[in-house]
Amino acid sequence: MDSFFIRYRNLVVLLVVLLAQIIGLAVQVRRVHTGSNSIDPQDGQGVRLIRLWANSLVSPPERLIHSSKLGTNSLWQNYLDLRHVREENHDLQKTIDRLRLEQAALLEDARQGQRLQALLGFQQKYIYKTVAAQAIGTSGSEQSHVFYLDKGSADGLARDMAVITPEGIVGKVRDVFPHSAQVLAINDQTSGAGVILESTRIRGILRGNAVGELQVVGILADQRIKAGEKVLTAGGDQIFPRGLPVGEVEKVVRDPDRDAFIDIFIKPAARLDQLDEVLVITSTQSSFSPEQQQDLATSQELKGPEAEAIKEQRKASQIMAERLPGLTDPNAPAANQGGVPATAPATQAGQAPATPAVVPQLPKVLPPQHPDRFTPGSAPVSAPDAIPDSATDAIPDSATDAKPKPKVKATISAPGSAGAKPSPKTQTNTTKPAKPPENP
Amino acid sequence: MSALRANLRRDMEIHQYPVLVYTLVPLAALVLQAWLPRMLGRYTFFDLPLVVTVYFALGRRSPIQGTLTGAAMGLFEDALSHHAIGVNGLAKTVAGFLAASVGIRIDVENITIRLMLNFLLSLVASAIYVSVYRVLLGLELEWSWYNELFMAIGNSLVALVMFPLLDRLQIRD
Repeated sequence: MDSFFIRYRNLVVLLVVLLAQIIGLAVQVRRVHTGSNSIDPQDGQGVRLIRLWANSLVSPPERLIHSSKLGTNSLWQNYLDLRHVREENHDLQKTIDRLRLEQAALLEDARQGQRLQALLGFQQKYIYKTVAAQAIGTSGSEQSHVFYLDKGSADGLARDMAVITPEGIVGKVRDVFPHSAQVLAINDQTSGAGVILESTRIRGILRGNAVGELQVVGILADQRIKAGEKVLTAGGDQIFPRGLPVGEVEKVVRDPDRDAFIDIFIKPAARLDQLDEVLVITSTQSSFSPEQQQDLATSQELKGPEAEAIKEQRKASQIMAERLPGLTDPNAPAANQGGVPATAPATQAGQAPATPAVVPQLPKVLPPQHPDRFTPGSAPVSAPDAIPDSATDAIPDSATDAKPKPKVKATISAPGSAGAKPSPKTQTNTTKPAKPPENP
Repeated sequence: MSALRANLRRDMEIHQYPVLVYTLVPLAALVLQAWLPRMLGRYTFFDLPLVVTVYFALGRRSPIQGTLTGAAMGLFEDALSHHAIGVNGLAKTVAGFLAASVGIRIDVENITIRLMLNFLLSLVASAIYVSVYRVLLGLELEWSWYNELFMAIGNSLVALVMFPLLDRLQIRD
């Protein structure tokens, strides 16, 4: 017997090691109620301990490399940055000024929206508190899109907290250690986030595929979904607050397994493969944070009267436009009407207005050289039969019915309002029911 | 064919390394594998722990040591991921065992053989990984063999550079 073990000791050791690992795997996998197997999302004590050891061993060198890289980079970057800091500062100041004006103008709409939401019993969650963290390492595996942060439970991080960058969402905290945390990126196969397409209002579940691309799968085929459409968080997954940018539609392909369905490939807004600094949302509340409130108050104080004046001006323009329907040719190209370009980026639903302070210019009314009975302000016709039949036929429809053309109103609406509220077409589209999301 | 066969002297030759090399090189491979994807993004087509496993298994020419090295490296990688601990462990255990078993029989100093071994063992490890995941555990996993092919090529190229460097660290009589 001894000679057998000595002779085949290599194979025996191999089998023992394999068997031990297989038993270890069996402990970690469990059968869920749907009949399929699943890895326990909450690691057991033993597994968690192994992960903690591995992390404790790898994190310190990673931090060292990361900090030394930052130090070297910062020396060079600081020099480069200082060269253009004056121009950049000037540009940023202008941007802040513009954003303050925008914020003040939209504040009242936001408050009204909140009141309506409260009436409907819907509680919007705002990002209340965030913790900035650095990404220091990854899993190193193509099959596991996770990365590690240099902050942990000691800094207030906990499981299932959303991780974002100013560009868009990144992932959620999967595991927390005392001084580091593991984040599951949104492009992992096991990840899932509720998303909504901005203009078509179609909802779906975002997940990653085998090569780390973002996909919204199992959507009913819809011709309206086009490349370039923005994708936002839907807010129903209890992880990501509503309305955070996710990315934009890159391409739409037919589901290879189901004819009536499509898969939407998403280009992520955040650079998932080269993350550096991220924000972890540690708290969400139904009210703005003190910092946000202070910022809003500052905006209102500085730009409130200016924004109010713009709003009033806009209202006056709309009233004027409604009263003067004949000034705009409804058949003319939109770019020629009222001096507002139809293709202005701010008029597209959902996009931030580029110049909210711009008020559309109405065409000036020249006094008529030979006023007749059709001239506004002249005496009305006493009886219908006073007009000969031929004359009645000659009157265009636009002149006979007193209602203004709706297109006039749309043409002169201020860019700010178009950006803040969905267009009538968009509102119609919102009524289409979305496909029920699948469990990722 | 005779070039591929190890001669008697090579059969007996076992590479020896300082203890620090045995500990620091695998650790460095694990740290770099975890850190480099941050720099290279999605172009991280290599698996340094696998390359180091193959190197030590070939050099030591001991299947037991190859098995244990592979198991340790694989388990460590699994611990850093969010998957079940043991999937990579199984794949690299078998890869280490096979590398050491092959190392006994053929000339492992030959560059072409080293390249081919790394390429084949990378694919074997990938196949074991996906089999364990889908068949043994019954879990869903999307898989791209193109990615694994690139990974195998990447591992071969890394081995081409890394093996001569590590050879310099061995203790010579």
